Amino acid sequence: MTLEIFAKISVYSVLALSLVAALGVVLFPSIFHAALCLVGALVGVAILYIALHAEFIAVVQILLYVGAVMTLVIFAIMLTHRIGDQTIPQANKQSLPALLSLACFVGLLGSLFLKTKWPVGPAHTEPVSAFVLGKALLGEYVFPFEVVSVILIAGLIGAVVIARKD
Amino acid sequence: MLGILRGMGVTFKNFVASYLHPRKPEGLDTAGLVTLQYPEEKLQEKEGFRNFPFLVYDGTVDNIRCVSCDICAKECPPKCIYIVRDTDEQGRPVKRPKVFDIDFTVCMNCGICEEACPFDAIFMDHEFEISGYERQQSLVYHRDQLLKPDTHFAKIRPTDHAAIEERRKKEAEKKAAAAQAAAQAAQAKPAPPEAPPPPSPTQ
Amino acid sequence: MDQMFVNLKKALLDSLAPFLPMEGVAFVSVVVSISAIAVFGPFTMMYLTWFERKLVGRIQNRIGPNRVGIFGLLQPIADGIKMLTKEDIVPTGADRVVHFLAPVVVVIPALLVFSVIPFGRNMVAVDLNVGLIFFIAVSATTTIAIFMGSWASRNKFSLLGGMRTVAQLVSYEVPMILSLVPAVLAAGSLSTVDIVEAQGGWNGLKWFVFTPWGLVAFFLFYLCGVAECNRTPFDIPEAESEIVAGFHTEYSGMKFALWYMAEFMNVFTVSALTATLYLGGYQGPLLPSWAWFMIKTYALVFVMMWFRGTLPRLRVDQLMGLAWKFLLPLALINILVTSAWYFIPGLALRLAVSIAILGASFWGLVTLNRPFVPEKRIYEFAE
Repeated sequence: MTLEIFAKISVYSVLALSLVAALGVVLFPSIFHAALCLVGALVGVAILYIALHAEFIAVVQILLYVGAVMTLVIFAIMLTHRIGDQTIPQANKQSLPALLSLACFVGLLGSLFLKTKWPVGPAHTEPVSAFVLGKALLGEYVFPFEVVSVILIAGLIGAVVIARKD
Repeated sequence: MLGILRGMGVTFKNFVASYLHPRKPEGLDTAGLVTLQYPEEKLQEKEGFRNFPFLVYDGTVDNIRCVSCDICAKECPPKCIYIVRDTDEQGRPVKRPKVFDIDFTVCMNCGICEEACPFDAIFMDHEFEISGYERQQSLVYHRDQLLKPDTHFAKIRPTDHAAIEERRKKEAEKKAAAAQAAAQAAQAKPAPPEAPPPPSPTQ
Repeated sequence: MDQMFVNLKKALLDSLAPFLPMEGVAFVSVVVSISAIAVFGPFTMMYLTWFERKLVGRIQNRIGPNRVGIFGLLQPIADGIKMLTKEDIVPTGADRVVHFLAPVVVVIPALLVFSVIPFGRNMVAVDLNVGLIFFIAVSATTTIAIFMGSWASRNKFSLLGGMRTVAQLVSYEVPMILSLVPAVLAAGSLSTVDIVEAQGGWNGLKWFVFTPWGLVAFFLFYLCGVAECNRTPFDIPEAESEIVAGFHTEYSGMKFALWYMAEFMNVFTVSALTATLYLGGYQGPLLPSWAWFMIKTYALVFVMMWFRGTLPRLRVDQLMGLAWKFLLPLALINILVTSAWYFIPGLALRLAVSIAILGASFWGLVTLNRPFVPEKRIYEFAE
């Protein structure tokens, strides 16, 4: 019983921290600090995955997002010449229309969520392991897998073409 | 690849040899430890090791060789020597230093005082482990602290001592020979009063 | 003897069981494991610095530290006291929060990896079923911390050093991950404990390193691990003659000690993981399992320090060329050979095919990667 309460409190606090980090991404004036808050938000999401017993996805989330994507983003920040300069404004003056449209969007989505009858499927008793995921990726979902690899190759070739010195 | 393995072999040989040979043997490709555990083990002093100066006396402390000619103080590049000549009871100068101060914090161990001294009175010692808490009291050495016997000089620099002793002996012999010849001439002068005196060598 | 530590922990928990509810016991169990790691990690790091100084000293024909305790054993404590009492300098233009957080963020992954290393039979802190990917993911987080450190110093040279470091780390992650795959293929699971258990045949000597693909993968993983730890010959980021000290130039005192600690803990974890994956982890004939683990790990640490005492540093372009043009293709071919090993029947045929393919590809890659040396020019004097 106490363990459950303890677990709930810890998960909710981690979620709250990652929400704060996500707010920080948007609100910090320095773009490097915003990138670091994004790292924090992504790690929070990974912890959420762990709490939902999907360890493989959590670890892959950290590996890909924090290890690869955020490294790329931070490289881009470093290589862009004056982006760290504090005098370049990071926010513009359109916060009021943005908030209004956000309110409409949240209202729409909220009413959609509340009105849909979500069918409850049978509970998964065993966690989804890497083995099951692997079999699915190369069995049932092999076509999207191959399409994704073609997209990745296209991205690589594009990068090589852009970076060539001719 | 092979080069890397050969290099690693050399370092491994050095590693193992550092345990087997506590003192590295002489030669080019040998291995072993070269470390000396300093205060307990010291490097053997070489004879020409040149450190701070000292004054020499022959026999007893009264026979200082230094005559306070002030040549070393004049030749010293950083001017760290200060000499005051001694006087006797009537105030006439005597060929001894009353004050002979060397400021070891200024002395640069060049040895020019030793080379300049015509009386073989000052030589460079092998002392280097001197340290003090303040400058004026402990690192300015006075005459009595600088005096060391000739035997000390013989011990630390035997070949130089031998060469200098030989030179001094030759000079002493030459002086004795000259004195003897002068004494003979002086003796031969008043002996025959009627015969015209032979021209003495001093003329 | 083999289960000594496990029995100790069980005795402790049994003695506490009458006083606590069941969740309390679980909690205490977790706390005991975590404290064991939290004590063992920094303690290992301290004595690894001692080990390195003595070893590199002996290689260089001198004794390492020997004054502070017997054989200098109290030297790391003296170093720790020195680092604690040093003044903590933060440059004026530096970003204080990020400057403060960077060493913290780099020690966290270094300590986290200790939780998936099997120190002995039944002696792993958390038996994750994705243990290996956990290790890789957490090592990838180190790059962000290094970026934070180099950016926060507000120093052009630190920034340059930091970017070179991140480029090196990211490039060497790819062959590292690819060279893990053969072990995973052979064991059929991502959990470190399962991989060690799969090397248990032949009375505990059927290690993966004794197969051709295992040998190549062992060298690849170890080399990439050495690069990930920023050790010589890949220590451009932190060598004294390169950009002062790279990304940790502006750190002093305890923060520098934290960077140093993270590096040595990385050394230990990379050696431990190489031992786990390819050298059989804690498997071995006579000694208790944790003794075998320590012997293998420290042998690999010895080799890493031996590299440091022997090899000169690689230049940045040589380093990146090595990763992308040599180690990566070799890792990919190694995966192919591993799978071929498991499908070809008969030992002699398997050995022959794998050695042929691996040998040919190694030779091919070495030939293709020969640096371009222009032919010698002969100058003739103009009369």
